[in-house]
Amino acid sequence: MSRFSLTNRNGREFFNLFDEAGANILRAAELLDELLKAWPDESGLEREILICEQEGDRITHDLIQLLNRKVPTSLDRQDVYALASALDDVVDYTEEAADFLNVYNIEAPMEQAQDLSQVLRESCANLAAALSRLERFGDFHHELVEVNRLENEGDRILREALASLFANGIDPMVVIRWKDIFERMEQAIDACETAANILESIVVKHA
Amino acid sequence: MEASAFTLAAVEYLSGADSPIQFPEMPAAAPAAVRIAVVDSDSGFVRVLGKRLGAVGWRAQLLPTPPAVEELQSMRLHAIVIDTALLGSEAWAYLEHLGGHAAAPAVVVCTGPSSVAQRVRGLRLGADDWVTKPCHPEEVLARVEAAIRRRRAAELASQPAEPIVAGELEIRPDMFEAFVGGRAVGLTRREFELLHLLAAAPGRVVPRERVYERVWGYAMAHGDRSVDVFVRKLRKKLELATPGWVYLHTHFGVGYRFDPQEVEEEETADGGEEA
Repeated sequence: MSRFSLTNRNGREFFNLFDEAGANILRAAELLDELLKAWPDESGLEREILICEQEGDRITHDLIQLLNRKVPTSLDRQDVYALASALDDVVDYTEEAADFLNVYNIEAPMEQAQDLSQVLRESCANLAAALSRLERFGDFHHELVEVNRLENEGDRILREALASLFANGIDPMVVIRWKDIFERMEQAIDACETAANILESIVVKHA
Repeated sequence: MEASAFTLAAVEYLSGADSPIQFPEMPAAAPAAVRIAVVDSDSGFVRVLGKRLGAVGWRAQLLPTPPAVEELQSMRLHAIVIDTALLGSEAWAYLEHLGGHAAAPAVVVCTGPSSVAQRVRGLRLGADDWVTKPCHPEEVLARVEAAIRRRRAAELASQPAEPIVAGELEIRPDMFEAFVGGRAVGLTRREFELLHLLAAAPGRVVPRERVYERVWGYAMAHGDRSVDVFVRKLRKKLELATPGWVYLHTHFGVGYRFDPQEVEEEETADGGEEA
């Protein structure tokens, strides 16, 4: 029996939830990008990012519940679970980075954080585009390649950012605060790559 | 290393529980959180001195090798105790460089026996005091305190007693505030320090890194937008308090310049840009 079932109602429910998850991670990443560009003047955006995080939890919960109730006819259960977890991680790390701006009482943004948020935003946009076409397996190779490229770009920016923090004479409090924030953003970008890798394996299984 | 061994033995004896020498307590008015760096490789002496400094609540950085002068400057120290023997032939240039900074910390040289000519040269190049080893940590501490007191007195004396008046602004260092027609602009401490720093050098471009170092007290990390953000906040407040005047000018890629200029209503103010 083919694992493809484009008209299957069960499959459609999974695809719809992944589509929602893609839109949600993109929304969170866009908000973080705006927040970092406007910080400290636009602190209200954190609340909206928190709502995205809660929405991400809701989608993950719905996916797992659906997985418990129904067998996805066109996707492996493990893939569904792993993909849902990776997408949840994206929005969790995004929200943590935004939260740290307030918790650490950040006075002003750093350029490298703005660059990382731009990378995260692009990565999420590609992932969201791929997820919206998950039903048509294999039609999103370009997006997945782009997510991998962006992850490498994120690594490069993180390395430069850490090097700038550990130059001589920097306030140790600045180092502690920004190291945490940079790392959360990089983890969000890494989670995008993890999700892209799972999508790639789904495509291979259906090739 | 005879001198080191002797120093260690001497200070351990003198600071021991059975020591017959009693030192008066530090006066209550002594600075509570003095930041000090001890640049010395004599581990015994450093250990005893470090203990004593910790006991009086000072924040001590113990450095066995001399760091770059810029690094010491960026630590926002009140005082440095340094054994110039570690610097070899570079000692004089190092001392001169160390004391050449506007907000230089008090420098106390604490080293082995030296000639009168060497001590005179060191003091003339910028050292505030010179202590010859072997010495007691209590004496070093007292000399550092005295050097800091002298620095503070000199700083107070050098601070402009008169406010800076520029355009419609009156910048009052004694009140950490700026006024327009007697009304306070409502500056935070950091905003005031930023304004005062720039206004103290009218017409001159102050690089962002320099602003950060003076106002924040540390080296600026590459990519840090703190100076730009605070200049933006300051501009907003000044614009509200004294519309029709532009005080802060941006020099892209470099820094900011304080230069009060009255602008015509239709003229676009030089506001909002970041360096």
